[in-house]
Amino acid sequence: MTIMETRKHGDAADGMVGGRFSRLDGKLKTTGGATYALEQPVKNLVHAVLVQSTIAAGRVVAVDAGKAKAAPGVLSVFTPEDDLGLLVASDWFGNRPDNQPFHPLPREVSFNGQAIAAVVAETLEQATEAAKLVKVSYEETQPVTGLDDPNAGEGRLVDMLSVGWGDAEAAYAAADIRIEAEYRTPREYHVPIEPHGLTVKWEGDFLTVWEPSQWTHGMARTYAEWFNIPADNVRIVSPFIGGGFGSKAMGYTYSAVAAAAARKLGRPVKLAVTRPQTFTAYGGRAATRQTIRIGATKDGVLQAIVHRGASETSVLADFPEQTGAATPLLYAVPNLSTQHRLVPVNTVTPGALRAPGKNPSAFGLESAIEELSYAIGMDPLELRLRNYADHDYQSGKPWSTRQLREALTVGAEVFGWSKRSHEPRSMRDGRQLVGWGIGCGTFPVLKAASEALIRILGDGSVEVVSGAIDMGQGTYTILAQTAAEVLGVPAEQVDVKLGDSSLPGATVAGGSMLAGAITGAVHKAATAARDELIGLALNDSNSPFRDTGANTLVIADGRISVPRGEGPSLTLAELMSAIGRDRIETQRNTLPEGANGPEDHKRSWTTMANIEGPTAGDLSMHSWCAHFVEVKVDEDFGTVRVSRVVSAFDCGRIYNPKLAESQWRGGIIMGIGQALLEEGLIDERFGRVINNNMGDYLVPTNADIPHIQVISVGIPDHDASVLGGKGVGEVGIVGVAPAIANAVFHATGKRVRDLPITLEKLI
Amino acid sequence: MTRTIHLSLDINGKQHELDVEPRVTLLDALRESLALTGTKKGCDQGQCGACTCHVDGKRVLSCLTLAAQVEGRQITTIEGIAAEGGDLHPVQAAFIENDAFQCGYCTPGQIMSAVACIREGHAGSEEEIREYMSGNLCRCGAYNSIVAAVREAAEMAATGVAAKDKAEVA
Repeated sequence: MTIMETRKHGDAADGMVGGRFSRLDGKLKTTGGATYALEQPVKNLVHAVLVQSTIAAGRVVAVDAGKAKAAPGVLSVFTPEDDLGLLVASDWFGNRPDNQPFHPLPREVSFNGQAIAAVVAETLEQATEAAKLVKVSYEETQPVTGLDDPNAGEGRLVDMLSVGWGDAEAAYAAADIRIEAEYRTPREYHVPIEPHGLTVKWEGDFLTVWEPSQWTHGMARTYAEWFNIPADNVRIVSPFIGGGFGSKAMGYTYSAVAAAAARKLGRPVKLAVTRPQTFTAYGGRAATRQTIRIGATKDGVLQAIVHRGASETSVLADFPEQTGAATPLLYAVPNLSTQHRLVPVNTVTPGALRAPGKNPSAFGLESAIEELSYAIGMDPLELRLRNYADHDYQSGKPWSTRQLREALTVGAEVFGWSKRSHEPRSMRDGRQLVGWGIGCGTFPVLKAASEALIRILGDGSVEVVSGAIDMGQGTYTILAQTAAEVLGVPAEQVDVKLGDSSLPGATVAGGSMLAGAITGAVHKAATAARDELIGLALNDSNSPFRDTGANTLVIADGRISVPRGEGPSLTLAELMSAIGRDRIETQRNTLPEGANGPEDHKRSWTTMANIEGPTAGDLSMHSWCAHFVEVKVDEDFGTVRVSRVVSAFDCGRIYNPKLAESQWRGGIIMGIGQALLEEGLIDERFGRVINNNMGDYLVPTNADIPHIQVISVGIPDHDASVLGGKGVGEVGIVGVAPAIANAVFHATGKRVRDLPITLEKLI
Repeated sequence: MTRTIHLSLDINGKQHELDVEPRVTLLDALRESLALTGTKKGCDQGQCGACTCHVDGKRVLSCLTLAAQVEGRQITTIEGIAAEGGDLHPVQAAFIENDAFQCGYCTPGQIMSAVACIREGHAGSEEEIREYMSGNLCRCGAYNSIVAAVREAAEMAATGVAAKDKAEVA
C-alpha cells in the first residue's frame, strides 16, 4: 500500500509517536482502492457455495447430489463421501495429533448449520442455485440445544480456571451484608461487515490464500498442516480485513474445503460464506451464566466474593468463556473463590469475541457491586473507591501501572456524577426516567515477540515490512510513526507493507497484543537501520561526513547532520547517493538471544505457546477503564436509549490518540449492542440460530449511539511494552453492559440480570 | 449453459458492456464482472448498506437491484465520486480527517449514503444525520466520527470551502 495525505494535527509536542495522524490507509479505504480477500483479480476462478446441516445432532445417511451436478455450470459437489486427503492441524498452542485425518465435511453432525457439502460452479449464481438442489438424508438424534436444555447438566469444572484465596465461603457467611444474584449473557456474534470467505489458488504444491486474517503466520501453518506441505509453500495474503473482532485468526472448515476443492479441480476457487452462514461457520461468544455472592461490612468494605460460572461449548472442543476472568482483579477483597464450568451443547465451537472472558465476567461483577451499593445505601462510585485494590490480590504482585482511580475520578468529574441522586427513579426528563450507572473494565497485557524489516531506499524513503495485520486498529499508521520517529523522517516518507505470511513473522492481532509487540520490533529494526546509516555516513570513503571528525550524527526532519556543529547537512537521498547505496536493510526481532533459531521463530510466529501473560514477570500488568453511562427509559414503553457516555481509559502511552479513541468508541458501541440488542436466538427444538441475519440479530445503528466522550488517563508503562503502551482494542467493551444495566436500574428500579435489556423485561 | 443477456451499463460516466444471467444483481455485476470492487457485499440481503450506490443520483442497495434494471440509468459507485484529477470528494476527505472508519469495509457505502444524505438535505443536525445514516451499519463503531464527517462536509458544501483547505488553514 502507498501512504498518502498524511497530516499531523494537534500539539506538536505530541511527537511523532503520540501524534494525531490520520490513517495512512485512509485514501485507499475511502476511494474503493483497498482490496479485500474476495476482490482479488484471480483468473479462471470458480465459485464454491456451502451447504449446511439442517439438524443439530445425528448423522448424514446419504447425499443426493444428482440434480445439483446436472445443474448448469456445476463442476463438482463435495460431500462427506469425498476424502479430501487432509490432516488435522495444530491448535493455537501448536499441539497436534499425529496423522489424524481431517474431514471438514463430516458425516457426523454435531450442530445445526455445520458445513456438510459444497457445490463448485463457474459462476456464483450457478453455485448458489445448485446448492439448493443438494438433498441430504439424516439419521437424527436428540440434541442438547443450550445451557437451559434439561439434558445439558451442570457441566464439568475446569480446574485450571479455579481461583481462590482466604476462606470465601466462611467470610461470606459471617458478613453483615450479603447479596447473591445470577447473571446471564446470551450467544453473541462478531458480525464483521465483511463476511468471511477466501480465494485460493494452487501452483503445483504452492498454495496462495487470500483470506481475511488476524494472523497470517498462524493461518499459513494451519494450511500447511492440513495439506501436509512445507510451511513455506503456503502464502496467506491479507492486506485489509473488513473487521475481525476475534473471528478471523484461524482457518475454519470452509477454508479447508475451498482449498481442497481448488486442488481437486485444478482451478482457483472463491468461497464466500453467506451472511446467514456466518452465524454457524465459526463460533461467536458462548452463552454464559454466573452466580455471584458478595459479603461486605455495613460501611461497604468487601469481605468475600464467591463466584460460580459456566459457559456453553461445543461437543467437539472446549472453549471456555471465562466468567471469572475479571472477578479477582477489580477490587481489594480478602477472601475470594471463583470456579468455571463448561457445558457441551450442540453448537459450533464458540470463539474469541472482543475481550473474551473479561467481558461477561465484568457484567456479573460490576452489576453485583452496584447491587451492593443499593443494599447498603452507598454511592457506587464511593463503594468502588473504598475497595480500590492497591495491588493484584490474585498474584500478590504490584501493578505495573493502574490508573483506575484516576479513571473513576476524572470520569466522574467530566460526567457530572456528583449531581446524581442515589434513589432509583429519582431523576427524570419529562416522561423519560433518567438513570446513571458505572462499569469498570480490565484487560490483561499480553506480550509476544515479533519481527520487522526496515528498508531505507535510495530516494530516502523508508519501508516498514511485516506479516502483522491491520484490521482497522491502525497498524499501518502507528508503524509509520514508529519508524519515522526513530529514523528522523516525516511519516509521509514511510511506506508500510503488512498482511502477508511471506513477510517477517508477527504474533496474532488478538488479545490486544499486536501493537505492543510489533512497535517493539519496528523500533528495534529502525534503530539498527539508523545505526547502520550513521556508521556508513561516518566511515564510507565517499561520505561528506567522513572527515568531519564527528563521533555520531543526528537525523531529524529527513536530514542527517553533525550534532551542534558546522558541517554538511544532507537529505537521506543525498547521503544514499553519495555513498552509492540503493538500499539499507535491517531485519530484527524481539526474541531473546539464545532462543532465536528457526524453531523459536516457528513457535513464536505460528503458535501462541510463547505468549506471556500479565503476571509472567514481577508485576501485574493490565489496561483499565471506567464507563459512566446515562440512559433514558420511556416510562410507558420500557424503551432504553443510551443518551450519554463518558469513559476514561488507562491503556498506558497512546501511540496515536485519534485512532485509539476510535477503537475505544468502537468497543463501547459494541458494548451498547451487547447490553440492549444482541442475542442469538436458538430454536429449542432444532438447535438452529433463528435470527441469523443482520435484520434480526441487531447490532447498533448510527441512530442508537450518542456522542461518546473518551479520555486517556494512562501513563507510559515500559514494563508492558517497549514504547510504553498497554492494550487498547478490547478493554473498551469491558464494563459497558453492566454500566448500562446499572443505569437502567437507577432509572427504573428494575434490575435486569440477563442480557440484552429489552423492553419486555422492563414493563 | 444458463441463458445470458447483454447489458450496457453507464457507470461513473463510462459505458460498460457485459454478458450476464438475468438474475445477476448490480452488486455482483460490479464486483464479479466489472472489477469495480469498491462497492462491498456485507449481507446480500439489503440489511447492512455496504453495497450502497447511486442510480440517477439517488442511493440504492445494489444487492437488491438487478443489473438488468439499471440499463439506461446513470450509476455512480465509490470509484466515481472523486474529481477527475484525483482530488477527493469533500465527503471522502472529511471521512479521513475525522477518522470515520476503521476496517474500511462499510466505508464506501457510508460515503455514498453520506453524499446522498447531504444532497437530500438531511444533514441539517447531528440527530438528522444519525437517522438518515442509519441504513449503513458500521461494526467497528465509527458512528460519532461519521456524523462529524457528514456534518463537516455538509457545512463545506453549504459554504463552498473544501475539506482540505479548511484543514490546512486550521
